[in-house]
Amino acid sequence: MRFLRQLAAVTAIVAVVVLVGLAWHHFAPDSFGGQGGPGPHRFVVRGQAATAVHRGVKVPAGVELNGGGLSGIPSIQLGDLLEPVNLAVLWNTAWIEAAVIAAVVIADAGIRKRRRARR
Amino acid sequence: MPVVSESLPLRRVAARTRLDFWFDAAILVGYTIAYSYGFTGVVIHEWLGIALGVALLLHITLHWDWVVRTTGRLLRPRGPDKLIWLVNLALLFAMTLCVASGILISRVALPELRISLPLDDPFWDRAHTLTAEVTLGLVPVHVALRWRWIAGVGRRLLARRPR
Repeated sequence: MRFLRQLAAVTAIVAVVVLVGLAWHHFAPDSFGGQGGPGPHRFVVRGQAATAVHRGVKVPAGVELNGGGLSGIPSIQLGDLLEPVNLAVLWNTAWIEAAVIAAVVIADAGIRKRRRARR
Repeated sequence: MPVVSESLPLRRVAARTRLDFWFDAAILVGYTIAYSYGFTGVVIHEWLGIALGVALLLHITLHWDWVVRTTGRLLRPRGPDKLIWLVNLALLFAMTLCVASGILISRVALPELRISLPLDDPFWDRAHTLTAEVTLGLVPVHVALRWRWIAGVGRRLLARRPR
C-alpha cells in the first residue's frame, strides 16, 4: 500500500514534468532555432565505423546508409544488432560514461582527502 | 540477536540493498544500450526507452524516502546531499522529457500499440536529441556521486563465498 502511494506521488511529479515540456512546446515552439533540421542523427554505415551525419551533409559516393537516408531517422533493421561495426557506437557511449564517472570519483576522493587533512 | 559466524557479516547484504544494486545496474546497462541508437536500431531503441521510462518511475519510488528526507533538509545551511539532490532533479527533468519526447516521435512502438499521434513537429525531435545528450552527461555523475555505496555493496555482493 505504501509502495503504491509513493508510486502515485512519483507518477504525479513525472506528469508535472511532462506538462512543463508540453508548455515549453506551446509557448516557445522555436526554442531550438528554426533553420536546419534536427541535431545529428546516427547512421550506420555498412562496412565502416558508425558515424553521425547532419542533415544536409552530402554523403560520399559509394557509402551506403541504412534505411531512411538523410531525410529522417534511419530505420536500422533488427539484423543489424550486435554487428561488430555497430559496437563502436556502444563503446563510445560506455567510454563517455566511464570518463565522467572517473572524473567525478577522482574529484570526490580529492575533496574528501582535503577535508580529512584539514581536521 | 542471532549468532552469526565471523565471515558472514561482511557478506550478508540486505535483500533491499541487493534489489537496489542489481536494479540500478540493470537500468544503467539498459540506458547505455538505449542511448547507443546506432547499435540497437530503432525497434530496440524505442521499446528499451519505454521500458526505461517505467524503470525510472520504479527507481524513484524505491528511493522516495530519500527524496522526501533530503528535500526536507535542503534549507539547512550544511545539509548533506545538496549537490546530489540538484543533479537528481536535473536528471529527473532531462530523463522524463527524453522519454516523453521519444514516445511522441516514436515510429515503431506506438504504431505497434495502435496509437497514432498527429505530431509532425521538429520540436520534439530536437528536444529528444538535446535531452538525451544532457542525460548522457548527468547519468554518470548521478552514478559517480554514489560511488562509495556502489563500491561497498559491490565488493560484498561480488566477493567469493568461502567454500
